Amino acid sequence: MAETRTFQLSMSPHVVSALRTRRVMFDVVIALLPALAGAVWLFGLAGALLPVVLSVVTAVTVEYLCLRLMKRPVNAALDGSAVVTGLLLAYNVPPGVPWWLPVLGSGFAIVVAKQAFGGLGHNLVNPALLGRAFLVASFPVLMTSGWSAPFDWSHPGGSGFETHGIPASELASVPGADAISGATPLRVMKDSFGDEDLRRSAAVERALASGGTYLNLFLGRRGGCIGETSVLLLLAGAAYLVVRKVLELRIPLSYLGSVALFGWAFGGPSLLHGDPLFSVLTGGAVLGGFFMATDMVTTPVTPRGRIIFGIGAGILTVVIRRFGGYPEGCSYSILIMNLATPLIDRFTHPRVLGEVRRNA
Amino acid sequence: MARLRTFDGGAHPPERKELAERRAVTRLPAPHILRVALCQHMGAPSTPCVQKGDRVLQGQEIGAQNGFISLPTHSPVAGTVTGVEEYPMPHRRSGPVVVIETESEQGEPPFEPWPDFESRSPAEIIERIRLAGICGMGGASFPAYVKLTPPKGKSIDTLILNGAECEPYLTADHRLMLERTGDVAFGMAVLAHALGVKRCFVGVEANKPDAADALRRAGLDVVELRVKYPQGAEKQLIKATTGREVPVGGLPLDIGVVVQNVGTAAAVAEAVRDGMPSIRRITTVSGEGVRTPGNFDVCVGTLFSDLITAAGGYLEGACRLLAGGPMMGIAQFTDAVPVTKGTSGIVALTAGESRPGSEGPCIRCGKCVDTCPMHLVPCAIATAGEHADWEEADRCGALACIACGTCSFVCPSSRFLVHYIKRSQDAVRAMKRAREA
Repeated sequence: MAETRTFQLSMSPHVVSALRTRRVMFDVVIALLPALAGAVWLFGLAGALLPVVLSVVTAVTVEYLCLRLMKRPVNAALDGSAVVTGLLLAYNVPPGVPWWLPVLGSGFAIVVAKQAFGGLGHNLVNPALLGRAFLVASFPVLMTSGWSAPFDWSHPGGSGFETHGIPASELASVPGADAISGATPLRVMKDSFGDEDLRRSAAVERALASGGTYLNLFLGRRGGCIGETSVLLLLAGAAYLVVRKVLELRIPLSYLGSVALFGWAFGGPSLLHGDPLFSVLTGGAVLGGFFMATDMVTTPVTPRGRIIFGIGAGILTVVIRRFGGYPEGCSYSILIMNLATPLIDRFTHPRVLGEVRRNA
Repeated sequence: MARLRTFDGGAHPPERKELAERRAVTRLPAPHILRVALCQHMGAPSTPCVQKGDRVLQGQEIGAQNGFISLPTHSPVAGTVTGVEEYPMPHRRSGPVVVIETESEQGEPPFEPWPDFESRSPAEIIERIRLAGICGMGGASFPAYVKLTPPKGKSIDTLILNGAECEPYLTADHRLMLERTGDVAFGMAVLAHALGVKRCFVGVEANKPDAADALRRAGLDVVELRVKYPQGAEKQLIKATTGREVPVGGLPLDIGVVVQNVGTAAAVAEAVRDGMPSIRRITTVSGEGVRTPGNFDVCVGTLFSDLITAAGGYLEGACRLLAGGPMMGIAQFTDAVPVTKGTSGIVALTAGESRPGSEGPCIRCGKCVDTCPMHLVPCAIATAGEHADWEEADRCGALACIACGTCSFVCPSSRFLVHYIKRSQDAVRAMKRAREA
């Protein structure tokens, strides 16, 4: 008889796929980098890069301290999830904000929204979005006005961005002005709704005039939060995630489809007079739809549940944009749907192979 | 070429078939000492009908069938019984074995050869398959004769031979289809005759085109299947090839289908045509942890360690030894366990190949939901199981899980989903039994 030896015991299966949690998280980080590069191009190093770096460093540091305090394995701070939270929080604040704003928001996101619920995998709502909601509620002026205009590289000294009818190029020439302040397209449109006489087309046109054309919206040459403006660069990142099999498209497509449909139906001054393309290209719809409504932890796991989530968030976005107190409803819509996620999951289990569903 | 058939869900674990697929089957002589398990099949172990000191002939019954879901056990060699004892088993902690000292591998077949099986009635054929101790050779080891005996009122119209072999590393069925095509074809004809079915075919994954060609040349109807795990799971194979769904809690018999492994068909051929009971099988020895992976035709009762020796021994770094493939195989504590009729492979994995020993938190990515071939929500069942909420586990369909391991394979946090779900299944069954009592 041959000599015998002993081995490790373990439960099947004995092999795992290459897609590990850390890879998922760092793929998301990589996918967010083009938008960061775009933000630096548009808003400058101090306007965009500094808040992002501060936010990410804060997120990872605070996560480490929380884990330390709770005597949990601290290497979880480097699993990439805190980096994603820090990035997304910073992408959701306006460029050029005081340095302490992203630090505060990022710390709040990690402590209150994530670690207080038990850390990775246990949080109910998207930490970055709760951090943003906290900042919007606490510092409404800093968070919703004082938008920097994107720097226009083709016309140094001006961006073609208008504020209250004054061309940005003229504003920029005002002695002592070191940044151009402007409203976002959605803010301009919302303000226009206040004027009963304005037709739908006039509202959108005025909004478009403030930020440029659809093409400018697509490229990101408009006012907005640090990471939300360039649809092109966000889509490039999303495409990378699809190729890497990290991103599943049910939520982004149902969300953006829903924003377009309901934006067309109810987003205008009268029924069926909204602009679907404008609805999708402005605000945080693309950033939210591809990178925040798809946060795995806080969204449904079932295929049907994801579609319901996307449609629901789309409806809420349009409702808040049109009737709410803020011009943009993307982040709140996702937060509200996050809370509905356990319920959605519970009632959308797929039909099991061979299961005969009885009529209720 | 026709589109490849498949099912919804599933995953693509690295196949690793290249390690052994080109190695022709080597017939190993019986070792000096054989430990023949009396519980090689699913169901009740057979009752030993020999004792220490008895001389046995090759193919002689050494364990008597013990109930409906049970089978007789036969001696693979002529020799002397040196004891009946409790011994470690690959698929359970331990079980009774008959220890036989080999004297020769010669002998007359114990049953009358029926090369003209068509002159025999289906009942006679099924009785022969029972007496020959044939169980499913794919791994689950369910007594084959039971599957061929539909309850009254059920009619069978389709016989599927399972040559999918979707488990990574394993190539035993591949080599069998290539090298013993005649046995597979003969066995299929016998099974079709026993069931009285006209429609019969072999399902083969598209990564074995040479096997598919060989079967076609032998006149068999081959359905090529997409390479995807678990393509060879019974319910998934049936769905892919016939579109029918086995009802939850039901059997393929309920929808008129019988599935048998290609290895089972070859065993049936030997039992009916040659009169030999099930005493040998082809098994793959593979993994980065063995020197020369290969396919071996061995007596049941040969120890894993003997087979590893035949494959050139372990390489440095071998840390896990599996009975079966890496997706559903059972990790062995020791290699001093005997090959049974269900041992489709022995895989020695190195640390680099095998999953980490720890798990992370569920990040609710939904990959398990997207890939579950039963369309369950594995993460929900596992969470319920972790919280010992058996009502919820049952509501989520825990009992429908086939434990294929796809969910755990794709889980980015390496969660032990199969473990939690199997535990839930046990608890849910216990709960239901208690409720009925």
